[in-house]
Amino acid sequence: MLSQLSAQKTRKPGERLFCLLLVLGSVYLFWQAYSIAGFSELSSAGAFPMAASAVMILASSIIFVNTLKLPAAEGVRFIYHCFPPVVAIIMALILVYAVILENLGFILSSFLFLFIAIQFLYRRSVLTTLSITLLALIVVYIIFRLVFQVVLPEGIVPERDIIASIKALWR
Amino acid sequence: MDALNFFAMSWLSPELLGLTALGTFLGIYVGAIPGLSVTMAVSILISFTFSWDVNNALCLMVGVYMGGVYGGSRTAILLNIPGAPSAIATALDGYPLAKKGLAGEAIGLSTVMSVVGGFVGIIVLALAAPTISEFAITFQPRDYMMLGILGIMLVGSLSGNSLAKGIFAGAFGLLIGTVGLDPMTAEERFTFGIIELWDGINPVAVMIGLFGISEALHQLHHMDKAIIKQKIARIIPKGSDVKKYLPLSLQTSFIGVIVGALPGTGGDIAALMAYDHAKRVTKDPEVPFGDGAKEGLIAPESANNAAVGGAYIPMLTLGIPGDAVTAVFIGALFIHGLNPGPLLMVEQPHMFWFTVGNLTLANIFVLIFGLTGIRLFSKIVECPKGVLIPLIFLLSIVGAYAINNALTDIWWMLAFGGLGYFMRLYGFPVGPVILGVILSSLTDENWRRAILTERNSMADLFLNLFSSPLSTLLFVTIVLILFTQTPIWTTWLKPKWTKK
Amino acid sequence: MKKTTIALLAAFSLSSTASFADYPSKDIQGVIMWGAGGSTDTVMRSIAPHVEKELGTDLILTNKSGGVGAISMKYVNKKKADGYTLLMGAENPQMHKVLGLSNIDYSDMTPISLLARGTPMIMARNDAPYNTMQEFIDYAKANPNKVKIGSTGKGGLTSIVLAMLASQVKLDYISIPYKGDGPALTALQGGAIDVMPAVLGAAIEQIKAGRMKALSMVDVERNALLPDVAPITDTLPGMKSYLPWGPFFGVFVKKGTPDEAIEKLQSAFQKAATNPEFVSLMQNRGYTIMNTSGEAASTFLEAYRSTSSWLVHDAGFSKFSPEKFDIRKP
Repeated sequence: MLSQLSAQKTRKPGERLFCLLLVLGSVYLFWQAYSIAGFSELSSAGAFPMAASAVMILASSIIFVNTLKLPAAEGVRFIYHCFPPVVAIIMALILVYAVILENLGFILSSFLFLFIAIQFLYRRSVLTTLSITLLALIVVYIIFRLVFQVVLPEGIVPERDIIASIKALWR
Repeated sequence: MDALNFFAMSWLSPELLGLTALGTFLGIYVGAIPGLSVTMAVSILISFTFSWDVNNALCLMVGVYMGGVYGGSRTAILLNIPGAPSAIATALDGYPLAKKGLAGEAIGLSTVMSVVGGFVGIIVLALAAPTISEFAITFQPRDYMMLGILGIMLVGSLSGNSLAKGIFAGAFGLLIGTVGLDPMTAEERFTFGIIELWDGINPVAVMIGLFGISEALHQLHHMDKAIIKQKIARIIPKGSDVKKYLPLSLQTSFIGVIVGALPGTGGDIAALMAYDHAKRVTKDPEVPFGDGAKEGLIAPESANNAAVGGAYIPMLTLGIPGDAVTAVFIGALFIHGLNPGPLLMVEQPHMFWFTVGNLTLANIFVLIFGLTGIRLFSKIVECPKGVLIPLIFLLSIVGAYAINNALTDIWWMLAFGGLGYFMRLYGFPVGPVILGVILSSLTDENWRRAILTERNSMADLFLNLFSSPLSTLLFVTIVLILFTQTPIWTTWLKPKWTKK
Repeated sequence: MKKTTIALLAAFSLSSTASFADYPSKDIQGVIMWGAGGSTDTVMRSIAPHVEKELGTDLILTNKSGGVGAISMKYVNKKKADGYTLLMGAENPQMHKVLGLSNIDYSDMTPISLLARGTPMIMARNDAPYNTMQEFIDYAKANPNKVKIGSTGKGGLTSIVLAMLASQVKLDYISIPYKGDGPALTALQGGAIDVMPAVLGAAIEQIKAGRMKALSMVDVERNALLPDVAPITDTLPGMKSYLPWGPFFGVFVKKGTPDEAIEKLQSAFQKAATNPEFVSLMQNRGYTIMNTSGEAASTFLEAYRSTSSWLVHDAGFSKFSPEKFDIRKP
C-alpha cells in the first residue's frame, strides 16, 4: 500500500546501506526505550518512546524493502554525485572548528574557520578573504557578544580584560 | 472613553512611539537570526530597562515580541534557516519561492499576511479575552493529548512523495523529543549517563542542523551554478493576490489565536497546523505545496503572528503565560511592581488597553519595516556562495551556542546537519522530524496525565472522551481526518464508494 | 589595529600582575540556574542592577538551565575561582546527592548571599468539597485513590511537602506530575487536578482573586499576606520538626575564590538586598527576605539539606542514603 505512494523510480548509491542503518538504529532505539521501564504501565516513562521507536522499525523496514526492489540509478557515483570531496572537506573543517572552539576561544577559531573556508570556496586574493572574514567576525561579535550578551567561549583570548581596558580608555 | 485613552497612549507620546518602533525594528533582526530568540531578547531587556518607567519598558518589549515573531520568516525564506521554530512551516514553501528568484515577492506577501494575522490576534484579544481564557484553561490533559495527535497527523502533509519516509521521520522526531530526564518522573531516557543530555536535545539545535547546515552542505554540490538573480520589481503584493488569499489568511489567523491562547501550546504548533489547514482546503494550488505555493507561505505566517495576540489572552486576564515570551513578560511586570494575575485587570485596568494599543502600533511598524529594506535582504541570496556558505555555518554555530550558552548544542546541531544531509540525499523529508520534536512532550506528557487520571484504564479514558463537548469534538475531528485524508480512504474506501 | 594591540598587551599585563585588591576589574558573569521567566530568573534580574551599582561593574546574566540545576553547577565549578563567575541558583542542588543527580551541592561552594526564602502552601480547586486541611484529610481518607494531587517531579517542592505529610498521616491519592508549579496551578484552575502544594508567591494572586482556595500554610505561623490561612501545625502538630522549611534563592562562587573578592561580593549583595525597591518586590510576592551570608548561610543550607534529604530518603525515593554523604539526621 505504502509503496504506491512512493514516486521514486531508482535508488542512489549508498541508499540501501543508509536504509539498513535506519532499520538497525530503530531496533537499537527500541531496545533502549524498552530498558527505560519495560512493559510495566501505560503511564510509564518508557511507553511513548517505545511506541515511537516501534513505528520507526515498521516504517524503516517498509522503506528498506521498497528500496531493495528499486533498480540502481545509472551513471550515478557515490563519490561524485552523493558525497563529493568538497562536502567532506567542509564537514571536516566544521568539525575541527567545533573542537577548537572552546580551547582557542570564539574569536581565534572563528577567524581561522572563516578564512580557510572562504579562501577554499571563493578563491580570491588573500586580502579580499581577510577583509570579508574580519568584517563578518566584527559584525557577529557585536551582535552576539555586545548587544545580546551571549558570553561566547573566551579560550586563550582574555576578552573581558580587553573590553574592560577599552572601556577604561573611554573614560 | 477611558479605554480609548489608554489605547492611544503609546500612539500619542513621541517617546513611547519611538521605543515601540525601535523595539519592532530590533525584533525583526532578533527573529531573523537563528538561535537568538525573542524570549532571550526580552529577558535581556528586563535588566536593561530596569530603571525605566514601566510603560517605556513595555513598549520596547512588545515591539521586540511582535517584530521577532515576524522576523523568523526572513531567514526561512532567504536561506531555508527558520529564525525560530514558529517559522519552520514558512520555510517549506518560502524558500522554493526564493530559489525561483521571487524572494522579494515572498517577503512582501508574508509581511502583509503576518500583519493581517497580527490584527486578528489583537482584535480577538480586545473583544473576547475573558471568554477565551476561561475556555482555554478548561482544556484537560486528554484534550491536549488529542491536540498533539492532531498535530502528529500533519506528517501526512509534510511527507513529500513517500509517506513511509515521512512517518519514519516523524516518529524519529517524537523520539528525539523524549530524550533527557523525564520531566514527570525524573527518569533518564536515552541519556546514556551523560549529564548534558538531561535537558534533552534542544529543538532549535535540531532545526538549525536539519534545515540550515544540511541545506548549505547540499549547496556545495552546485558551487559552479550561476547565482539566482532576484526579481525585485514587485515587493508590495498585488491587490488581487491579497484579496484572493485573505479568506485563507483569516481562517489560519483564528487557528493561530486559539492555539496561541492555550497555555500548553504556542506559535510553532499554530503555524504547522495552519500549514496543514491550508494544504487541506486548497483544492488546486497554482504551484504544488513544497514547490513554492503561496498558500503554504501565508498560512503559517498569519497564524504565528495571530498567536501573539492569543498568548496575551491568558496572560492579561489570568496571569497565566500563553507561551515562553509572555512568561518573561509576567516577570517583567512583577519586577516593575505590578502584580500580574487575575486581578491585574481590576488593579491596573489601564494595562489591558495600553497593551492592546501598543500591540496594534507594533503591528503597524511590522508592516512599515517589513516592506522596507527588502531589496537589501534579497541581496543576501545573491551573495557569492563561496562567501555565503561559510557565513551560514558560522551563524549556525554561534546561533546554536546562543540557545543555552552550551557547546553541546553545537554538537547536536552538527550531528543533525550531517544526518539531514543524507536524509535529503535519499529523499527523506526533514520537516516531520522537527514536527515530532515540537509535539513530543505535549503528546507524551498529556497522554500520561490523561491515563494516570483514569488510573491506567484505557476503557475509562476512551469513555471520557465523550464526557465533554470539547473532547468529543477533538476526537471526531481526528477520526474524520484519519479517514478522509489518508490512504485508508483514498486507496481503499473511496474507489468502492464512488463505484456504488 | 594598533589600538587593539595596545589594549591586548595592557590586558595581558593586567591579568598577570593584577592583585585582587582592585577586584572587580572587568565584567562579572552571573549564571542563572533556571530559564528566562522563572522565579529564580525574576529574583536575580531584579537584584542585579542594585548589585551593579554597588560593585561599579556590569553583571552579565546568562540563563543556563538543565539537569535540575546540575549543569550550571558544573559549569561554574569548571571556571576559574576568581570571583568573575557567579552561580545564581535555587534550592534544587541541595537534593542532588541523595537523588543521585550530581556529586556536588552548595556545601561544595562558597555562599555569597542567601537572598530570600519562600513559604509553601497547599491549594485546592475552588469547587472542591473541602475548605480546610482537616476537611481535606478526612475527605481523602473517606475517598481513597480519588483525589488528584499535582506534583512537579521527585525532589521538587511538592514531593517534599507530600513526604512531610506522609510522615504524619497516610493518604491514598493519584499523583499527576507537571513540568512546574505554573502549569500545575493552571491545571488546578481548569479542574484537571484537585490539590496542589506550591510556593506562596506562585499562587497568591490567584488566591486573592478567588480562583483557587488555600487549605493550609506549610509553616509554623500565619503569613501576613494571607492572615486567614491557618498554619499546617494547627492540624498536624508533628510537622513542627520540619518547619520552617522552604525553597530559597542564593548566589554562590566556586570554592577557593580569593577572600577579597568574596568580601566585596558579599557586602555588595548585602547592601543591594536592603534596597527598598527590592524588599517591597519580594514581600509583595510573599518571599521572606533572608539576606544572610557566611556562617549563618552555611547553617541554613545545612539544615535545609538534612531535613529534605532525610524526608526524601524516608519517603523512599532517594537513590542513595544521606548517610553516604555524611548528611546528619535532623
